[in-house]
Amino acid sequence: MPALRHPAAAADNMALVKRAEGRLYLAPLVGFLLLFLGFPALLNLLYSVSTVSFETLRSPQISGFGNYAAALTDAAFWQSVWFSLRFGIITAVSECLLGLFLAIFLKPLLSARPVLMAPLMLPLMVAPAMVGLMYRLVLHEFAGPVPYYLFEWFGDSPAFLDYANAFRTLIVIEVLQWTPFAFLLFYVAYIAIPEDVHEAAALDGATGLQRLWRIDLPLMLPTLTVAFFIRFIDGFRVFDNVYALTGSGAGGSTTSLSIYIYQAFFKEGAIGKAVAASVVLFISSLLVLYGLNWLSARRKR
Amino acid sequence: MMKFKHISSAVLALVLSAAALPGLANAKVVVLGWPGGSEETALRATTDLYNKTAADADKIELLFFNRDGFFDKLQADMAAGSNAFDVNLVATYSIGRYAPYMEPIELNADAPKVFGDAVLKTMQFDGKQYGVPTDLSLHFMYYRKDLIDALIADPDAKAKYAEISKKYLGKELAPKQPDDWTWDDWAATALYFSKQVNRQSPVRYGTVLQMKNLLFNMMVFQSLPRSYGGDWTDASGNVTVDSDAYKTGLTLYKTLYDAGASPKDSLSYEYAETNAAYSSGQAATALQWNAAAAELTDVKKSPVVADVTGMVAPPAGPNGRADHIHGLGLGLNKNARNKEGAIKFLKWLSSEDAALAYARAGGSPALTPDVVTKVAKERPDLVKLGEFASKYGYVMTGATSAKALSVYELQAKEFTGYWSGQQSLEDALAHTKAGMQDLLKK
Repeated sequence: MPALRHPAAAADNMALVKRAEGRLYLAPLVGFLLLFLGFPALLNLLYSVSTVSFETLRSPQISGFGNYAAALTDAAFWQSVWFSLRFGIITAVSECLLGLFLAIFLKPLLSARPVLMAPLMLPLMVAPAMVGLMYRLVLHEFAGPVPYYLFEWFGDSPAFLDYANAFRTLIVIEVLQWTPFAFLLFYVAYIAIPEDVHEAAALDGATGLQRLWRIDLPLMLPTLTVAFFIRFIDGFRVFDNVYALTGSGAGGSTTSLSIYIYQAFFKEGAIGKAVAASVVLFISSLLVLYGLNWLSARRKR
Repeated sequence: MMKFKHISSAVLALVLSAAALPGLANAKVVVLGWPGGSEETALRATTDLYNKTAADADKIELLFFNRDGFFDKLQADMAAGSNAFDVNLVATYSIGRYAPYMEPIELNADAPKVFGDAVLKTMQFDGKQYGVPTDLSLHFMYYRKDLIDALIADPDAKAKYAEISKKYLGKELAPKQPDDWTWDDWAATALYFSKQVNRQSPVRYGTVLQMKNLLFNMMVFQSLPRSYGGDWTDASGNVTVDSDAYKTGLTLYKTLYDAGASPKDSLSYEYAETNAAYSSGQAATALQWNAAAAELTDVKKSPVVADVTGMVAPPAGPNGRADHIHGLGLGLNKNARNKEGAIKFLKWLSSEDAALAYARAGGSPALTPDVVTKVAKERPDLVKLGEFASKYGYVMTGATSAKALSVYELQAKEFTGYWSGQQSLEDALAHTKAGMQDLLKK
């Protein structure tokens, strides 16, 4: 490096070099993202405004916004959006509440025996499609343990997957698998709260419940929001376990938005409409993310 | 020194990877088969036999993914011009869809003598032969011989049976042997053997209805309306899915489901669940694919029901008996890497030796009477298969067209919507008719 006359210029030069180095390190990641996310995204946008079929997959013809109109006027599209919305919100709320309860309730046990965290994380390790197939067996009236014991103890077992119960069953399965995720986030946030804050509160005469409500929860609020948002997005996008367990459901009753896109693409061969629906999904997710960011920025001020 | 190490290790890596490349090309024939079940077992055994005498360059390597989404993945692969497989599965109801990506083949000279022209036709499209017909699929009515015989021998049971049939079907019926059944006889039997209808029933359910929103379940269902004269379209091409035949069939299924004659989760049942329910011994009958015969009559796999299970063709309607048939087979991918090896294999597969080996290993080829007698002892169901196919087999008008699978999908969605109580029969049929008109227009 050439000799420098001024310390400030030296600092500037260092910063310049660091930025160039930084860009070099980032280049492979950016390249990877551009190739595997950027290119498909652009292709998606192109297909969403074209007329294309499986035979003409490599030669789409631009035809305007007809695909968007087809998707947005399709009753099945709105039915699937409604399913995904309900599923996403209910599972996110349930998982967060349950996770929060477990984090607070299990803290003494886990502080004493941290190794018990591992079995609690096991549900997260199973692929969602596997979970769907597993429950197909577990809930089968003749092959599964759950109906078997229900018949033994109560003489009857509900129809877990019929039209009336399928939604509830899917919610329970999703919550059972993903609550450990919320639990982990909340537990880490909970134990990060410094003890002297609790001591000070105790000195001031706060009861356990007041401590929880006035101190712990507000301090954990950023984690709560993030966990809720992540679980909601995952629940909204659900595909694997629902499809493996009930498919699109009797009369299409368990068709989530992802399943709708899959059906439109592969079963109907309506590639343009499916891609248009996926672009709508993408834009709405972006809007939700942007909105949440804006809210948290406002709060910080 | 370091530089030399770097360079030499890079060169070594290049040499190793280059050596791997020739190994990848043309060293085998990749066959994409129908996964799970008897078709996979039989194909594995048959290709093992072929590989014993095949040259290295012609050895078969098998590729399976799973049944769910199989045709979608195949469609995507073929549209992308995939050469990951040389030979792929093709089915009667999808030849129209995949023909653009496949090449017609020439079969073994013996093939017409082994399979017969009617069966070879299940693998033809536009007058050309696109595949070797390895398995014929149709449906059997599986039933519990012990339960039916006990019912027929007991006068009190007969009285109860008549009472139930009068209540649910509007007429007094008497129990008969399943080979003489009409659909109403079957329904009455199913109701009699359901605990929810008849507390004295020895089993929980009278039948197992496959009512999952799945295109294959429509194939199981449609023999019922067919035997009442139903068809997808009439001779002039008008969609006739809203005919009385279809209305009768759909209503019968709903009546049985609502009365509790079929397991409560039937709306999520397909092949595997039905087998599990029937082989548990708690169902008296089941309309199920012929491929299940091997499993349901095997003492090791279905100990409770193996020895007391009978199989007949589906019951009769006013227009006689009808049994949906379609063929599964293997054909040539247009983008195959090893075309010569693939053609050699397909020619061998359509010979008598291969067909018999396939049959002995659990597959279900439809063979001519002269050939099927050679496996009649091990596979008595194949004799039935050939017989039912020729006597009662049908293909719905339009069921081999390019959009046939989409028609089945549409029917599955709308009919299961009706069966689950989400929409009326009129709405379901109106939606189906409108959709089919769109899909089947030329």
